[in-house]
Amino acid sequence: MATKSYADVSDQQVVVFAQQGREDAYRELISRYERPVFSLVFRMVRDRETAEDLAQETFIKVLNNIDRYRPEFKFSSWLFKIANNITIDHLRRRQLDTISMEGAPDAVTAESARATSIAVASSAPSALDQLESRELGGAIEKAIAKLRPEYRACIILRHVEDYSYDEIAEIVKLPLGTVKTYIHRARQELRESLEGVR
Amino acid sequence: MTEDDFPEDFTPIAAELQRLPYMAPSRHFADQVISRVAKLNPGAQHELLPAARPHLGLERGGKAGIATRRRSPLVRTALATSTGVVLVAAAALMFVEIDFITALLAAAASQYAFVVAAVATQAAGAVLGSTTMTYLQAGAAEAALVYLTLALGLASGYFGIRAAASIAKERAA
Repeated sequence: MATKSYADVSDQQVVVFAQQGREDAYRELISRYERPVFSLVFRMVRDRETAEDLAQETFIKVLNNIDRYRPEFKFSSWLFKIANNITIDHLRRRQLDTISMEGAPDAVTAESARATSIAVASSAPSALDQLESRELGGAIEKAIAKLRPEYRACIILRHVEDYSYDEIAEIVKLPLGTVKTYIHRARQELRESLEGVR
Repeated sequence: MTEDDFPEDFTPIAAELQRLPYMAPSRHFADQVISRVAKLNPGAQHELLPAARPHLGLERGGKAGIATRRRSPLVRTALATSTGVVLVAAAALMFVEIDFITALLAAAASQYAFVVAAVATQAAGAVLGSTTMTYLQAGAAEAALVYLTLALGLASGYFGIRAAASIAKERAA
């Protein structure tokens, strides 16, 4: 099959080609979203290898279910939804050598707080550490890392990926009010964390 | 672009957030994904399970084959649910025909232990006489069938519900 140029083709149309079994369409979808998805997951789990695995798992799941994609929704929202689910799932299950931070604000038991806590892997310096060496940009990466995973996903989707509150609520499967609260609290925490830097 | 719905002092942070760089995965990322897309690699479907990192493998193990197995649970659910409904309905209908003592003796005979049934039969024979016992024993087989049917119906219903829940979970994911 001849390779097609997808430069001016919308996501929905590329998906149609992928549904027809065109490998170049699959590759186009990966190429469009591998960085945004990988970055989101990376900022959530703070470990390159894990992020790569989870991002791969996201794409494999999405592409293996491409026939079930409904064009009335944004492809990217669907993709981020799966990425967020897989990542949150991973964060809840992992039991690595970690330093746990506070659990989710709605966690009522020690168990649920533990399950939703963020855990920064105590590993060797990563690419993220290099990014963090810069002034405000680096401080922001650090500040994001201190946020709870739910806050992190919401603030990244809002300010990095430019999604609306409604879209974020759809992606993270939370009520709109909860998303607004999370983003509000995330902004407050970021502001406090970055107080001395600006 | 996001609407400015934040306080002014957050503006520099918002601007910085928008400037955060995207990070790139490894060079072989796309190839690794493509090699595990079932539609493009019909012969390589079992390779959906990861070989590397076991901490992720455990999580992935249950999910990786979802796409290829997606129709199977649907069919299983439909079959199990209909079978369960039919069996429970049959058992309910048959129950109406059976008297209480027969049902009790049959329950002992079919579910708990043959010994209990044998002892109960002997005791009942001494008390009730041989004519009544013949009647009861004829009903026991029927009651055993009812209980077996009920058990099968409940089991099928249970597995049907489990499969439906699993499908719902996969769809939600």
